[in-house]
Amino acid sequence: NAASADAAIDEEIKIVKKRQPIPKLDAPLLLSPAGIPKLRRISKDRLKFKGKGHEYSDVARLLNTYQLWLDDLYPRAKFADALTIIEKLGHSKQIQMMRKVWIEEGKPKATAESDEDI
Amino acid sequence: DWVERDVVPLVDPEARAHVYNLVSAVGGAGDDGGYALGDDALACLKDLKRWLQFFENKLNRRDVARCMAEANLVKGDLLPILAKISDKVTTDKLKHRIAIACLELLVPLTWPTEIDPSSATVNHHRHGPYLQLAQIGYKRGVLQYDAAKILQTTVRIALPSMLEPRKERTVRDEAIIRIVLYFVRNIVMLSQPKGLPADGDEAEISRSAAIDACHSQDIFQMLLTISSSMGDEFVLQDVVVLEILFHLVKGVDAEKLFMEEKKLSTKNTEELKDLIQKEKAMLAGYARHAPTRHNRFGTMIWVKRDDERVSTISGQDVLGKAQVSMQKMDKTKKWNKPRNRGPRKDDEASREEFDLPVPLTSSGRKHLKAFVEDFLDSSFNPLFIHLRRAIEREEERVESRHSRQYFYLISWFLRAECARRRQIKEKFAKSNDPTAITAEDESFGLIAGVMNQETFILLNRFMQRSMDEKTWQDLNAGMKCFTQILHTVQEMSEAALEEDQEIAENIQNRIFYEESTHERIIAILRGYKDQGFGYLDACTELSHVFLRMLERYSKQNLDLQVRSRRRARKKRKVPVQPEEGEENRDDAVVSENEELQEAQRTTSERKFDFARFAAKFMNQSCVNTFVSFTRFYNDLNVEQLKRAHRFFYKVAFKVDMSVFLYRVDILQLFNKMIKGPEGLDPDLPAFKEWEEFVKHFFRTAVKKIQERPELVVEMLFSKINATTYYLQHGYDKEVVTRT
Repeated sequence: NAASADAAIDEEIKIVKKRQPIPKLDAPLLLSPAGIPKLRRISKDRLKFKGKGHEYSDVARLLNTYQLWLDDLYPRAKFADALTIIEKLGHSKQIQMMRKVWIEEGKPKATAESDEDI
Repeated sequence: DWVERDVVPLVDPEARAHVYNLVSAVGGAGDDGGYALGDDALACLKDLKRWLQFFENKLNRRDVARCMAEANLVKGDLLPILAKISDKVTTDKLKHRIAIACLELLVPLTWPTEIDPSSATVNHHRHGPYLQLAQIGYKRGVLQYDAAKILQTTVRIALPSMLEPRKERTVRDEAIIRIVLYFVRNIVMLSQPKGLPADGDEAEISRSAAIDACHSQDIFQMLLTISSSMGDEFVLQDVVVLEILFHLVKGVDAEKLFMEEKKLSTKNTEELKDLIQKEKAMLAGYARHAPTRHNRFGTMIWVKRDDERVSTISGQDVLGKAQVSMQKMDKTKKWNKPRNRGPRKDDEASREEFDLPVPLTSSGRKHLKAFVEDFLDSSFNPLFIHLRRAIEREEERVESRHSRQYFYLISWFLRAECARRRQIKEKFAKSNDPTAITAEDESFGLIAGVMNQETFILLNRFMQRSMDEKTWQDLNAGMKCFTQILHTVQEMSEAALEEDQEIAENIQNRIFYEESTHERIIAILRGYKDQGFGYLDACTELSHVFLRMLERYSKQNLDLQVRSRRRARKKRKVPVQPEEGEENRDDAVVSENEELQEAQRTTSERKFDFARFAAKFMNQSCVNTFVSFTRFYNDLNVEQLKRAHRFFYKVAFKVDMSVFLYRVDILQLFNKMIKGPEGLDPDLPAFKEWEEFVKHFFRTAVKKIQERPELVVEMLFSKINATTYYLQHGYDKEVVTRT
């Protein structure tokens, strides 16, 4: 018994290195400053459309904006994959709530009323 | 280690010894060079059958079948025996018995093997591929046997029993007829298994070869005889005939079958031209983006990003093309989103069932066409009415696959009949023959057996059940059938005879009367999820055709009524307190509740509102289904592209719910279709209208974004009910509160 106990002590303790967790494209990341808040900002600042006669280039510009934004947010995923993941996240309660809030912010009527309150 | 495992024999040695002994005792090359039967050939054949029955089935192994394949029993003995006694089969009693014994071996040996995961052992998996290949060999042997017509011989075996009136037939007679039919089914059904090497010419075992053999060896005659007197002289044979027909015609294009030879060849040339054109366009698309110098030229560019950062991309193909560099940046990423695991629903096996097109040689086409015409003229109604009854009664011989095959065949034959009528019409239109009327006179009576209320009820039930049970392949067949019925009714209503028009009107009324049918179509379209392309094609076509016909019909009949069934609001009735024991009372309450629910399912008739119904198709799930369909744009034909185009056009501009289409992946798909790379071929006739649509749609999308910047975020997601209306119109829906 004693011998086996010794042997157990002598055995080296193996240190299992934990794997670096892979960052996930999830709701917290999407709601972080680099996520949708940034998208709202850059779309407001930078997205300029030319309008009639430039339909395709306008949409291409829009798509590029999304692609670059997603590449910054989550460089691992390809554009189409990232879109699928985000679309799926949109079904969650948390994100849906935020979506409503963002839309409310945009509503002209709501702002008018809050102005009156002030 | 492997040495020891090798010692364990592949097959049970004792069984092998016995089977080999028996096989060699059956017979062999005689003195005259022909085949000579062994002394006890009949007993040997029966013994072999017993081996197959008892050893295989009892121990659940495939050893004996494997031994028989290795011993070359079929090609070496059974087929030569059948060929030798072919002439005297009907006259000589002993020969007849020997022939039956041969068949009794051939049928289980050619029986299609499916590895059933619940009962399969290692043994099955070990022998499976070998046996599958062996069966292909059997099929080749039967179809290509030189000395005699094997299939015809088997028909001869059954002839005496078939000639017997049904009431006087013995059990043995019925069994002989059945075994012959099953043999034919097996031969028609066997096909080169996927993933196994083909030995020999595949044309020898193709569908055309089987059709040619059926034609030259009188199998078609036999099928016509049996199915035309189905119900009086033949009863139990209906499902086997159904299976034979199914495996003969599945995947064959019914329209092409009835095209004239000349027209078909021009059509084929056109198809070839189209394909070459498509390939050219594809190659041109590649060439546009191909490097102009050798592959070690080593170009590298920077893409400026915000915050003073840059990304680097290598390769000269991206020089000066901003869009391409964006695509290349995306393409070089290594990570892929893990696809959902689990069993794949769109596997080859389920596609093979009937969504795989089968080409025919010109002789095969000619013979099949002749057979189909004869069949429609003489046998379609009796067989299909009889089958419907059998399925309704859930007869023991009817298995689950038979309903699927039944509905697929209905759709196939309806299509064939419509194609034939069209062909006849064209012919007479050209010749200006006054007898044309008589040909047209031959009204739709030939297919009346499936255009009745009973069939519609069965079909509706079948579709509902396969939807509930998620048996998608069944539902696929049901949808094909329903679509084709709608097409046929349409042709009927345009027929020259007034009687036909009236009947068509009547049928349409019946089809469109049930609100549950309408709801089901929507539910199917909404419920698509990874069921494969064949299913996707079927469900989009069904909803397209259904909507179109319903629109036309409701325009003609402004007061169309529908019967809607819905549960009435529950009236809480205080349950009467019974005096008996506790358990009894509970039971009574439960059953009473059920009764109440049943009773409260009221039916009411109300006026049908097409606009409201059509609006139900315009929701996010239906859009998603059509988007998945459109993703196959490079494989779609003109008609399919048109179908998708109409749908999106309606969503975006007719009912004004373009907000459902405002999603980045959809925009990207449309953009890619028109602007490439790997987009639609610009020379395609459908390209023009797609381009118009996409352009128009993009313009409105850009406008909307400028009006409501919050759309930029919403474009990432599917829309939710609460905000959809606002996003589309810019103001909230006024909610009318009902009192």
